[in-house]
Amino acid sequence: MKVRSLLSIAALGLASIAPAAAQTTLNVVSAGDQNMVDYVNNYLGPKFEQMNPGVKVRAVGTGPGDSGSQKIYEKLEAQQKAGSATWDIDVAVVHQRGAATMVNDKLLMPYRNDIAAGKLVSRDTAKNALGANVDGYVLPMFHSQIAFAYNPDLVKAPPKSFAELAEWVKKNPKQFGYNGVKGGMSGVGFVMGWVEANSGLRDKLEKGPYDPGAKATIDKSLASLKDFNQYVVMTPGNAGTLDMLNRGEIAMGPVWVDMFYTWMADGKMNPKVKLELPAPGLPGQPMYYVIPAKAANAAMAKKFIDFAESPEVQADGIVKQFNWYPGIDPQYVQSKMTPTAWNKLFTDISPSDLASKGRPFPLSDYFTDIVEGYERVVLK
Amino acid sequence: MSAAGPSQGANSAPAEGSAAAKPQAWGDHASAAAPSLAARMLPNAVRALVLALLAFAIFGPLLNLVLWAFAEKWYFPNKLPLEYGFTFWQRVFSPRGNALGSLGTSIWIAVLTVALSLVVAVPAGYALGRLKLPWRGLILLAFLLPQAVPNLPVYVNIAQVFYRIGLAGTITGVVLVHASHGLVLAVWIASAAFASVDLSLEEAARNMGASAWTCFRTVTLPLAAPGLMASAIFVFLESVDEFTGTYFVGVPDVTTLPLLMFNASMGGNYQIASITALLLLVPSIGFMLVVERFLKADVLAMVGR
Amino acid sequence: MAAIAEDVLVEARPGGQSRWAALALVAPALLVLAHFAKALDLYGNDLAFTVEIVALSTLLIALIAIAIAGYLTLGEHPRAVALLRWLYRWPLFIPFVVAGQIMRTFLAKNGMLNHVLIGTGLIEPISAQSMLDWRGIVIAFVWKQAPFVTLLLAGAMASLERQHIEAARNLGAPRLRVLVDIVLPQVRGTLLVGLVLSFVTMLSVLSVPLMINPNSPTMITVDVAYRINTFADYAVANALCLLSLLLAAFGAAFYLRHAVRRVEAP
Repeated sequence: MKVRSLLSIAALGLASIAPAAAQTTLNVVSAGDQNMVDYVNNYLGPKFEQMNPGVKVRAVGTGPGDSGSQKIYEKLEAQQKAGSATWDIDVAVVHQRGAATMVNDKLLMPYRNDIAAGKLVSRDTAKNALGANVDGYVLPMFHSQIAFAYNPDLVKAPPKSFAELAEWVKKNPKQFGYNGVKGGMSGVGFVMGWVEANSGLRDKLEKGPYDPGAKATIDKSLASLKDFNQYVVMTPGNAGTLDMLNRGEIAMGPVWVDMFYTWMADGKMNPKVKLELPAPGLPGQPMYYVIPAKAANAAMAKKFIDFAESPEVQADGIVKQFNWYPGIDPQYVQSKMTPTAWNKLFTDISPSDLASKGRPFPLSDYFTDIVEGYERVVLK
Repeated sequence: MSAAGPSQGANSAPAEGSAAAKPQAWGDHASAAAPSLAARMLPNAVRALVLALLAFAIFGPLLNLVLWAFAEKWYFPNKLPLEYGFTFWQRVFSPRGNALGSLGTSIWIAVLTVALSLVVAVPAGYALGRLKLPWRGLILLAFLLPQAVPNLPVYVNIAQVFYRIGLAGTITGVVLVHASHGLVLAVWIASAAFASVDLSLEEAARNMGASAWTCFRTVTLPLAAPGLMASAIFVFLESVDEFTGTYFVGVPDVTTLPLLMFNASMGGNYQIASITALLLLVPSIGFMLVVERFLKADVLAMVGR
Repeated sequence: MAAIAEDVLVEARPGGQSRWAALALVAPALLVLAHFAKALDLYGNDLAFTVEIVALSTLLIALIAIAIAGYLTLGEHPRAVALLRWLYRWPLFIPFVVAGQIMRTFLAKNGMLNHVLIGTGLIEPISAQSMLDWRGIVIAFVWKQAPFVTLLLAGAMASLERQHIEAARNLGAPRLRVLVDIVLPQVRGTLLVGLVLSFVTMLSVLSVPLMINPNSPTMITVDVAYRINTFADYAVANALCLLSLLLAAFGAAFYLRHAVRRVEAP
């Protein structure tokens, strides 16, 4: 009886790992939330397969945040060190930091000039990832922005700038929460925003040149952050901030706009919750499509990215389905949508607000200084 | 683990009530009987209360899991989900998502991992548990300590090696990675199980003329069986729980359900994480039941309690 | 089982053969003292925090496992025993990452635990507090690992000869004394194995502290992940891993020493 049951389990197992049919399999590995994988599986994949018979698109997720991108980087690095002839990832979707490291270590193939969609992006983010030159190696899949989410029932007059916020938390202790620097990038972005607001070094931090002497000024602005922290709740991660907003334990906190809208679509966020950008601004970053240097199906990978970045797909998939800011320049996408559908993107944050208060992250070296400064000054 | 329980402690109320009522009803001539009745009722009440508290401590968090698995809308100020539904089940089981396929792969890998671990752990555990090897303690410790370290750097290096020798993206590779972790559990538990077998029983068997192999098969192994069974269950659970090593060695050819569960959980996608956790519960509990029945029927009978 | 404990202990004591093993472990680290200094400077607090959490969790796991396994062996109410046996195992099947997730929603300020406490009138809504700090991590660890040790212990206790237990009970010994004086000494080896394995496992878990309390002070695993993901700083991350390894070694040695001492002084 036992042997038989063991054999039947074995048969089940073997059946489920049936050999792949004789066709090209395009492997897409994506960092970020599960809905990125679903996006490939349920939308991009089937459409692409229809256009290219004989191709199967397979999507895998590596997890949210920079750790997801780091996992992709490490897998590519392992194959590079092992000297494999072809690598098992054809298209990867990674964050800025991951892309910068990969370009630095020569893990990626330049492809932007080989595809039509490459001309549709003129934003700086397509060339510059946290100060690293990634021109030609990346195309933004979508742009995201950190913003304050707040419950208008609990927060009648949300603070409109960092200075106002510092006052507000003293009158409303433990109603604001952010996730520090170890829990996810929305917290890191908040700290960046605070430093930019309080140090007066904004242009230098974003455009350079790098000046190690700026550390003293940065540390001073972080000292005021330490004071600020007494009146706020520290949340466990990007999802933790949204989680606490979901349960009403905090009334306001910095969140990624794309995660925010996803949570709302999944029924985990009260539809009443709104977004706002405080002055002088909060950072944002795109997620990039990249192709590993030795991808097994490079030509098909390029076609796939070209397809994913076409204005129709960006309009229908990225903007309409997810309510995310498009990766390619907005005018190409806007022309493919009705004004009402397009304006849904700007319900809470107007285009002019976005243009002036949506900042890039500081240069990589300043980024390190700020985060390490936080550990030294604020956490000790 | 103690927390106040809700009215699940219903047993305690009537028990305490009757404990108070009885002595009065019996009056003086029951003065000898009354304390013993109260004394008999109180343990019942305490026992029921403790069990109720334990049930709350265990099932309270699990209830959260079940609620999220079926919740479509749940946010403040609602204490329970606003809408229930199967939308997320549909998402998990979408044909291209291949949930059932990854579930099957996960189970198959777990079974192979258990088999491999036991094949190594039974002789190794016996040697380390019974024989006086000089470096025995050190071997056990050296085996154990790397498990204390966060796994990531180790798996990256393993991935590199596996890519070179062509094991990356294969079931074999993933099983080897899982077994490297499961072996620690299996060897430690097996060595403890074999060490706790009473020597006198073995000596008795040998004195009656049994060969070393017969003695092992009929005396030692059955007595160590509960420990070996426990280690099989734990190795299975560890394998089903494992995703980092699976990612580095298996993806994209070998995908397991724990990968989906980890990504969903970390990303705060509670619905999908809860659904996959419930899905993974099934083979885990099933495996435990199979192992228990297997052992109970064949082996524990020989021990004859 | 005491014999194993003795062996490991003898070999782990400085002066034994393990001094070579220890040196082999530490030598490469000596070459990168600078990274160690940085790791200790930034994360010394977190190291202490990690030790405290894991030690406390292990202690609680031991107490709970002994209590439950003891009742399963010595309990005289068959229905309660059967119910307990069915009840205690459930958390075993929940992976750490899911345990972290459900504890986060269960122990939060507006989570299920507080809702129940307020609903039954045991606490006021004002005094509801979030347990999402070190207490949450300990609770998650104990919740997940106690059934593991209990299962091992119950199995070991079930293999004991009932004669000793029954003889003692016939002589009128209370069950607690039977547990402490007769049953526990015989299953000490299994208990220790369970505790050491739990201790080591808890040291390596990333998902639970990351989901419940990643902000300082936090466990070392979070800091390792943070160094790797934010700075690609493998040097300090490796230094932290090595420190974690040393912690595990001390932990294992401490528990085993404890075992031998108790055996020598019955």
